[in-house]
Amino acid sequence: MIDAGNQIPQGTKVYASQWRIDVKRTIGFAVLMGLVGLPWSLAERPEPQVVATIGGDDVYQVLPVGAIPAIDEPEFVSGAEADRQMRPKEPVLGVVVDGEARAYSLWQLDAHEIVNDEIAGSAIAATW
Amino acid sequence: MVYARKLGTTTYTFQVSGRLWRNSLIMVDRETGTFWSQVTGRAIDGTHRGSQLEKIASVETTWKKWREAHPETALLKKSEAVSASHYQRYFDDPERMGLFRAQWLAEKMPGKTMVYGAAIGPHALAVTDEALEDRLAEGTLGDAQVVLARGRDGGVRGFVARAGGESITFSRDSGSGNYSDSSGSTWDLDSGRCVAGPRSGERLEVVAVTPVYWFAWSNFYPNTQVIDH
Repeated sequence: MIDAGNQIPQGTKVYASQWRIDVKRTIGFAVLMGLVGLPWSLAERPEPQVVATIGGDDVYQVLPVGAIPAIDEPEFVSGAEADRQMRPKEPVLGVVVDGEARAYSLWQLDAHEIVNDEIAGSAIAATW
Repeated sequence: MVYARKLGTTTYTFQVSGRLWRNSLIMVDRETGTFWSQVTGRAIDGTHRGSQLEKIASVETTWKKWREAHPETALLKKSEAVSASHYQRYFDDPERMGLFRAQWLAEKMPGKTMVYGAAIGPHALAVTDEALEDRLAEGTLGDAQVVLARGRDGGVRGFVARAGGESITFSRDSGSGNYSDSSGSTWDLDSGRCVAGPRSGERLEVVAVTPVYWFAWSNFYPNTQVIDH
């Protein structure tokens, strides 16, 4: 008879450090929050892989490329419509290029992280 | 953080690579597949390895403060209602610092302390939110004297404190929110422009400022200068 309290079922990974557990929790949290919609369930999710080591630090592949979709064709509003979409205390990333001001809600950028934008003829990437 | 997407004659578009390095986003460009660090703007792997994207000054503040200071602002349109951050629990938990261990973590202060980071080449400085408050912070990046100041819109901007080949020391004017130097010139440190006095019309060189948790900044710049009081 298997004593679940003492034995570790075959195929179960034993985590060596709190760091790895934290990884799993954080990614699990992101999935629960609907941050990333991936085709596999959490149980089947691959562990983050070390894909390179640069400058002495490992590079981890945590999600597939583009799983968090950047915004490539941003649309903008202003005035009363902008106020309607925002809360006063909502955090923004703000930038002014050649006198043209633009704001990006950080709550919105959570799900996109990068906006490929153009302001006053200058191509810029707003990142979060 | 905001970067110019043009490098040489090519304009790049960036995607989220799904990779993390030093607990920060790695971007990947669609044109060459080069990987770029979001914190430094430097290409860490791929065709353009070693290239540097130009940083464009940006700030983090609240919508209310931004809108009051920039009434004509455009806002990235929301296609879906978002009323909170996905990461609020992460932000609020002082124990959770990124996902992975990096080789450097300077334990000078709690990892989740918010700092304003600035770097020129290998030189870096970090000013704590607490130390900056409403005043001005002065530091050094290599040979350059720099100042970080909180603007009317609540955001923090950085400048090289030099005009006409001379170093400048600023003192805050009560009331106007502008700053004066020893020549009797008045500076608006929201824009870095001299608005009155002998240096009128001159502009300070901009130094991009990154609002960032201390642990992440120290992952990149463990020997950063720190201004914490």
